[in-house]
Order: sequence, then structure tokens, then C-alpha cells
Amino acid sequence: MTKASTATAIDITSCEQEPIRTPGAIQPHGFLLALDAQRAVVQASDNLAQFTGVAPEQALGRPLAEVIGPAAANMLTPQLEEPLRERPTYLATVRLGEQPYEVLAHAGDQLAILEFEPGAGAGLQHLYPLVGDFLNKISEADSIVALCRLAAAEIRALTGYGRVLVYSFDEEGHGNVLAECLADGYESYLGQRFPASDIPRQARELYVANRIRMIQDANYTPSRLTPADNPVNGKASDLSFAALRSVSPVHLQYMRNMGTLASMSVSLVIKDHLWGLISCHHAEPRPLSFHQRTVCEQLGQILALHIRNRSDADELQFRLEVRRAMVRVLGGLTQGTDFIDNLRSVLPELLHFARAGGVAVVVEDRLVTFGDTPTDDQIRALTQWLAANVQDDIFHSAHLSERYAPAAEFSSSASGLMAMPISRIHQHYLLWFRPEHVYNIDWAGRPDSKQGGAAQLSPRTSFQLWRQTIHGTSAPWREAELELALEFRGALLGIALERAEQMADLAEELGRANKELEAFSYSVSHDLRAPLRHIVGFSDLLMETAGSDNPERRQRFLANIKDAARLAGKLVDDLLSFSQMGRAALHPVRFSMRDMVQGCIDKLAPDLPPHRINWEIEALPEVVGDPAFLQLALINLLSNAVKFTANAHPAVIRISSEQLPDETVFHVADNGVGFNMEYVHKLFGVFQRLHRMEDFQGTGIGLANVRRIVERHGGRVWANSVPGEGATFSFALPHPD
Amino acid sequence: MLKPILLVEDNPHDLELTLIALERSQLANEVIVVRDGAEALDYLYLRGAYAGREQGNPAVVLLDLKLPKVDGLEVLAQIRGTGSLKSMPVVMLTSSKEEQDLVRSYELGVNAYVVKPVDFSEFVRAIADLGIFWAVLNEPPPGSHRYIKPQ
Repeated sequence: MTKASTATAIDITSCEQEPIRTPGAIQPHGFLLALDAQRAVVQASDNLAQFTGVAPEQALGRPLAEVIGPAAANMLTPQLEEPLRERPTYLATVRLGEQPYEVLAHAGDQLAILEFEPGAGAGLQHLYPLVGDFLNKISEADSIVALCRLAAAEIRALTGYGRVLVYSFDEEGHGNVLAECLADGYESYLGQRFPASDIPRQARELYVANRIRMIQDANYTPSRLTPADNPVNGKASDLSFAALRSVSPVHLQYMRNMGTLASMSVSLVIKDHLWGLISCHHAEPRPLSFHQRTVCEQLGQILALHIRNRSDADELQFRLEVRRAMVRVLGGLTQGTDFIDNLRSVLPELLHFARAGGVAVVVEDRLVTFGDTPTDDQIRALTQWLAANVQDDIFHSAHLSERYAPAAEFSSSASGLMAMPISRIHQHYLLWFRPEHVYNIDWAGRPDSKQGGAAQLSPRTSFQLWRQTIHGTSAPWREAELELALEFRGALLGIALERAEQMADLAEELGRANKELEAFSYSVSHDLRAPLRHIVGFSDLLMETAGSDNPERRQRFLANIKDAARLAGKLVDDLLSFSQMGRAALHPVRFSMRDMVQGCIDKLAPDLPPHRINWEIEALPEVVGDPAFLQLALINLLSNAVKFTANAHPAVIRISSEQLPDETVFHVADNGVGFNMEYVHKLFGVFQRLHRMEDFQGTGIGLANVRRIVERHGGRVWANSVPGEGATFSFALPHPD
Repeated sequence: MLKPILLVEDNPHDLELTLIALERSQLANEVIVVRDGAEALDYLYLRGAYAGREQGNPAVVLLDLKLPKVDGLEVLAQIRGTGSLKSMPVVMLTSSKEEQDLVRSYELGVNAYVVKPVDFSEFVRAIADLGIFWAVLNEPPPGSHRYIKPQ
């Protein structure tokens, strides 16, 4: 907190007790009459006699005509038949004697409130060209300050006031002068700051409701109302919308201290919020007609509208830029597997995203920093503090040492902090640091110089420029930055979730691979040992029987040895190809299945047994897959079919296909021995056999290979059979995306 | 009448070696050979090709672990799950001592677990020892006849 804010807190509370809506009096340059429903005068300002010659007490209870004369009353009466609005409208210009008066009327607490101001202003015909001119120019202004500068010049031209300031209120309520237009001899306030205490809270509220107010002469003596309270409801008369409303004596003193005797201010209201004020000062008393004031009010509305459009456009542009930066960050993030490494590759974008000077990523005990940041230890301590003290999805401060005292030590790199937890479970944080932004505030007078007393409140007397230097704060975090940072966090968590799913998939895949490996080593120890044992066994038998025994028996042992050795070799080959199949990368292309089937048959031809085979090959579609692998699978299926139809005469092997919505299915059907469906679940396992070795040779690995190849293509395999009638082996390949 | 030995073996070479080994052990029991788990169960349950065989359980089942169709562990599980068969001695014969197979076999109540030795003389001794122990020395479950080696 700055020193200034502490002081204003006290001032605002004392000023807030001022009853500004019900001062019970008006400014005396005009007079006020309140009429009841019967159009009788029920309340009048004390200065009535000066203008009408009728004392207020005598006016009470009498019809309007008897107070202001029948001619003037006749001009007003028809218009009073219309329902009145909450804000004053111009009824007519009437003459009381020689003097013209502009008469305004508005509704207040069941009364019709008439205000009479000596009419002296310019006519509408002079004012509207100015408005049109302003509208033309304002469309060309390209910044809020330019808009304000234009409005200041226009209003000064319109009112003839010596100084017109346009200022906006910051978050703390201080007014910053954005633009001004001055006559010679008027001191400049441009770039200065008016403390929030200059305009108390209840005044700001009134400024939203009633968008214009004028004090014609700060040296006036208020003219009280008779009776003081509203005669209908007995409450203090609400003068919120009265043009002549008397203002707080504190404010009049403030004006005199400032050297201005006339003032007018127009509210700049954006989205029901007091965005700023157009404030006009004049050294001498200066009247403005109702029409002049109305045009000023309209100019204020036009300005507010343009400011709103401009700031909406600026905000949109800013959000667009932040979003673009975010997209760049996310684009970089999704490319790798290691979260920290990915973030590391987008650190500059991450910095840019939050317009920060430094960024830190804390993931478990890993800490990555980029740019200008506090030390690693300081960052770790800071995240500890965040974890213990901040529950929100996002933390931000432009004055970190105020929330976290140790931050004073590293205020140069990190006066500003925006921090987000990026895990719901762990203490993982993303931190952006903004450097200290030392700047000066040029106060239009010391904000703490307003002297308050128990009995009397007096405004500040000095408007001397007072420079304050602000330390320990950074550029503020904008709403859009916070919102998009949260969006970014959502995306990060999404990515993390996706990554977790990928990890789970990977783990599942590893589990599968591991299981296959176990099956593999199991097979090696089992099936590979058997032929070795046979070689040794028959060799021993052979040696035992050397010389003796019958030669037939010796011959068979020798054949067995040869057989076992050959099987062992084949087992090793098959096991190797099986293990390769799990590792080698697929290179899918589009090819014709029919050509491939024909190629496989040609390849098998030299080894084909003497029995005759009828190949029935239907029209087969093109598929996308790795041709080398799929050929291996196909050869396995076709040679199986050949093998198990050895006793069929003739053997018929039919290759067909069918198109399903998501996949292409191929069938290899034979009329061979088939298998018992009871054991179909074992068919595609490694070294599973459903037949005796001597009936049908093989290592029991062929169908395991087929399954592995098809599954690696994202497909599936299955088989059907009726023992003795044949078997159909089918595989499906998914359609390419 | 001696109870037979049931040998369940799919591999023709193993079968030949085992039969030679049993022959050398000079056991008088008849050896009944079946070539896969399904056939073994058919024999034990007196069904299929064995529907008409003589009643009674074998003295011992020498069961290969890896078999076509129904493997040795499944055969063992069925034997132990069947009231009339569950007390029958079962010896698992296998190529290797895989931890999982060993554990599973004992869990299923195997009587012995034998890894077929690579050396043929050891293999012959192992088979002979098994035959003698289970068919001769072992006191069979009640109701069985004890084998008396012919002089």
C-alpha cells in the first residue's frame, strides 16, 4: 500500500458523512418551487422574494400563478400535465418582469420540482453544430488520450471555462489527468494524480446517477428551503437531481483553495461504473445555460461510449495477443514426452505470454528458470509459502512483498508474481515474475494534507505538485492475463492427463511385451531342450549298441538324431523371427491382396506335396499394411492349409474377403483335418500344437506369428473348424484412417 | 493283475526314449501310451476310444507337461478334481524346471516333478527310479494291489 491510500481511508470516512443528496438548500443564482399534485406550492427556496417579490412563507399553499404570475404559470401548466421524469427537463423560458428564466422540472418524492435559472445561455442552434463537429473528429481519434484531448478542447470551446481536465479513476480511486485544455494563466495538471479523498464515496455514487453538476460561484451563500423537509413524506428533501443543488461547504472551500470559483463536472460512466470525469474550472463565477450543460452532458456520453469501444477493442486485441502467445506455448509443449523438457523449449514464449521478466517451473524437486528470477532457494521457499497459504487456482500480486515479506529481498526481479499450481496432487508450480517498476506519482497536492477535525472538516489547501516515488511494485496483472493463464493451466492439466493416459497405454504395452518375452523364454527352455535331449539320448543309445544289435535300429536312432537336430535349428530360426516381428517397424503401403496371395502360392509351389490342390482365389481388395510382414502371415496360413489337407483328395483351399464398416476380413478356408473348437483358444499361442508331431510337422510357432503380425496392424485373427471337414482361418485389417 | 502305468507323451522321440528307459527298469507293469492331454482324460474317464477298457486306475501317471490340446497341468487339475481319480499318483515329466510350472504343479497336488535329464543314462535311471518307487515301493491307495517283482 502506498502512503497515500492510508491517508485517504481516513478522509473518505469523515467526508462520507456529508449529506450531499439532502443539503436542504440550493445555490442562490436561481430559485426553487415544489408543487404538490394539485399544483399548489408546498415548498420554496428562501431567496424567492428576490425574484418574485413573494416571501416563501406566503407562497406556501398557493397556486403557481399567484407566485410567478399567470402569464408565466400559463406557459408552464400545460407541460406539467405530462408526467415528469427523474432528471430535469426544460419546460420553457418564462419572463418574470423583464428577466427571462429557464424553467426546469423534475419529479422528486411525489412533488414536481421547478427550478428557475436566469436564462442567459446560447440557443440550441449554436450548440448543435459543435456537437456534430465533435462527432466527426472523435471518430478519427485513435487512442483514449486522443479522445479525451478532443473532448477537453470541445468542452472548453463550448463553455468558455479556463481549464477543462479529463481524468480517469484508477483501481484505488485516484484520478489521473489524461488530457486538459487551458486558457492562458491556468496552471496545468496534466499527468498529475488527484487523490481518491478529493471525491468521497457517496459523491461518486451520486455522479453515476446524476451525470452533470455545476457550481456557478463558489462564494455563494446557500438559500435554504422552506419548509426544510419534504412536506409530503416529512423526510429531508432529496435534491440529487436538482440542477441548483447546494454542495458541501467542504467542497466550496476546496474550490476556493484551488483558485477556482466556478466549476462543472460531467461524469464519464462506462458499464454503470464511474470511469472518470470531465472537470471544468474557471477562476471567476461563470453561469452556463441548461442547454450548454445538456450538450456538455451529451458530449460526455459520446466520449464515454467511444472510450468504451476503444478499450473493448484494445482489450480484445490484447487478449488476442495473449492467446496467440498461449497457442505458441502449447504448440511447443505437445511435441515431446518429457514435460519439463517441453516447457524448457518454450520458456521464451512462456515469458512473452505473461509479459514477465522471469519464469520458473517447479516440478517435484526439479526447478527450471528462465530470464530474471529470484534464486533457486528463494523460489523454493516461495512455492512452499504458496502451497501453505494459497488455495486458489491462480495467485497474483503486483506488490508481492506486501503479501509475502521475504519478497522484499528480491523485489528488483520479482515485485510482481503470477503463480499457478499445475498439478492437483503435487506441489508443481508455474511462476511468472515481473520486475520492480519504480515510478513517480505527481500528486496534485499532498494526498495527506487534508486536515480533519472532530467538529469541522476542511479540505486540503495545497495543490502544489508533490512527487511520490513508488517502490516494490510491478506492472499490474491484467484480468485478461489471469483468465488466459487459467485457461493455459487447464490446457496443461489436459496435456498432463493425456500424458498419463499415454503412460498407462505404454505400461500396458510393456506388460504385454513382457508377457510375450516370458512366453518366449519359457518356450526356449522347454521346446529347445527337447531336441537336444533327444540328440544326446539317441547318441548314447547308438554308442551302447555299437557293433551289436540290428542295423535297422541303429539306422532309426541316426534318423532321430538328424531329425532332432533339424528341428532344433528350425526352432531357433522361428524363435528369432518371432522375436523380430515384435520389434521391427512396420512400413505400411497400399498393395493388392490378390497379387500377394498369388505370389505366396508361387513361393510355396516348389515345396508343395504331391497331392493336388484346388486353389480358389476370389477377387481380393487392396489393403494398407506392411507387405513383408503380411506376406509372412499369409504364407503361414497357406502352408498350414496345405499341411492339414495332405489327406484330402482333392484338397480345396479357398481365399476370400469381405468388407465390414471398419475393416477388411480375409478368410483362408480348407477341407483338411480341422481341429477341435474346444482348443481354439490355444491355437494362436507360441508353441501350441493341436496335433501330434509325427502327423503334422511344425514348430508350433506359425499361428503365433500370424497373430502377432495382424495385431501389430491393429487387426484381429480367429479360426473356425469342424474336425474332419476343414478349418477356416480369418484375419481382419482395419481400414486406414 | 498289475495295474498299468499311464504314459502321456506327445513327442515321438521322447516317447521312444521313455519306453526304452521303462523297458530297462524291468518293470512288469503294462505301459499304456496316450499322445495328448485329451486322450489321457479319455483313458482316465473311460470314454471315447477307451470307453470299453477294463475298469481301474493306473498305478501311476507319467505326465508330460507340454501337450497338445489339453496340457499336463490341466490334466492334473482334472484328476485332482475327480473323486475317483484324485488319490492316484501323478508324476510330472518335463523338459525344464520353470518356476511357474513347478509351483503350479505342487499347488495342484502333483506327487513328483521330474525334469528329464539330458544325459540318457541319467534319464534311464530317473525313469527306472520313478517306476520302482511308484509302482513297487509305494504303498498304493486302499484297494490297489501291491506289485511283487517276479523272481
